Amino acid sequence: GPVPVPVPVLSAAPAAWLPALQLLRRGSKAVTRHWKAMHFQRQKLLALTEYLPPRPAVPPRCLPRRTAEGHEVRHGPVRGSAGTGGCPPPGSDTGVGQSLGETFPGCVIHGLGCGGGWEMPGQVLETGERSLPEGLWVFHVHPELPFFFPGACIDDTILSRQGVENFARLPPLEVSQGQTVAALALPSSQTSSLLQRGPARLTALLDEHIRRLREAGGPTEPPPGQSTGNC
Amino acid sequence: PAGPGGVAVPRAGLKKLALPPDYSGITFPEKPKLKFMDKVPAVPKVRREPRRLRDIRGPSQVATDFTQGQYGILALGGGYLHWGHFEMIRLTIGRSIDPKSMFAVWRVAAPYKSVTRKSLGHRMGGGKGPVDRYVTAVKSGSLVVEVGGRCEFGEVRPFLARVAQKLPFPAVPVSRESLQGMRREEEEKRLGNQNPWTFERLAASNMLGVRKYLSPYDLELKGRYWGKFFLRHRV
Repeated sequence: GPVPVPVPVLSAAPAAWLPALQLLRRGSKAVTRHWKAMHFQRQKLLALTEYLPPRPAVPPRCLPRRTAEGHEVRHGPVRGSAGTGGCPPPGSDTGVGQSLGETFPGCVIHGLGCGGGWEMPGQVLETGERSLPEGLWVFHVHPELPFFFPGACIDDTILSRQGVENFARLPPLEVSQGQTVAALALPSSQTSSLLQRGPARLTALLDEHIRRLREAGGPTEPPPGQSTGNC
Repeated sequence: PAGPGGVAVPRAGLKKLALPPDYSGITFPEKPKLKFMDKVPAVPKVRREPRRLRDIRGPSQVATDFTQGQYGILALGGGYLHWGHFEMIRLTIGRSIDPKSMFAVWRVAAPYKSVTRKSLGHRMGGGKGPVDRYVTAVKSGSLVVEVGGRCEFGEVRPFLARVAQKLPFPAVPVSRESLQGMRREEEEKRLGNQNPWTFERLAASNMLGVRKYLSPYDLELKGRYWGKFFLRHRV
């Protein structure tokens, strides 16, 4: 601590006076080049008054993971890839790869290490066409046991080897989407062509339709026929 | 491009081009390059002055905002700049900017404060040493240089970062927007702090008798400064 040093008296009746004791502070000043050592009480105070970030009501690890764009992260590094459950022991990659090639013909095999999260342990297969959606991932069986189940989980459905093969033979997404749209658009196109034919033909069709309904269900009342005026 | 049903839909491509940045409101100073700073002021000090390290301590009240330029170097700690630093800044920035389209201005004064040094190898005592050099005091939160003109932050940031690294205190290159962003983040942090106990509150009310271990300056510095250092992580 500061050591008091007695000050020599200047004269009998000094005009100005100095304090009787001058506290000579040894040690460093408040502003130093180095990081000055803090009193422990001050350290405790700083530790107590640290910043605590606001916590959301639902922890983010319980919510579906989102990428930077906001899409939900689908586990699996490669689009259209399948893999085996479990972790192959090191050094046995060639054997597993061969067995995988037999079980999934026509697929390219990647090797992947375990660890670094549980997203894609084990071997990774890539199908020829991008027929498998991004929802494909590999379920993680105990990594300690060398248990290899040839299968995958696609769109929250666990599929066996046969199931994956069948899935791989499905048409691509764009083709199936096109087929669906065509199927949906067919009745409307047919209707439009029907309406463009002519009023006489329309009347005949409606009469035929009513007759069929009457034949089919007696008690069921056919829909009220609207009078088709000649345009 | 395939449409519904697999039929190819011909479509002209529309290229969206970004507008070039608008440099209309920028006024260039007379000399685009940094002015030469003297080692010693025109009227050198006769009397040796005391150390007064409080000109390093705490946040800066001057040169905290941009005036002419768009980008600058922000000091995140206190320190003294001497002639060597000034020359380094002047030459590096002079080499890196294009005087026709960019300019740079000083935001710190030329060295004004005399600093003494005793000759090597002598014992304590014998009075104060002679004046060794002149320095400028810089507090944290002040801008050192400002750069502006027809340029983007990405062009300017590399050489500003190189200059900032060589300064005796921690410094970062900033732009107007990034400085605003920093201030806004600090404010959000301060408002969103979930800890009901803040340094300011405990020191002001002397809770737990902490003022025994704090300086009277800590009431203003609020635990964000320690000596010449600025503790950025503290709220």
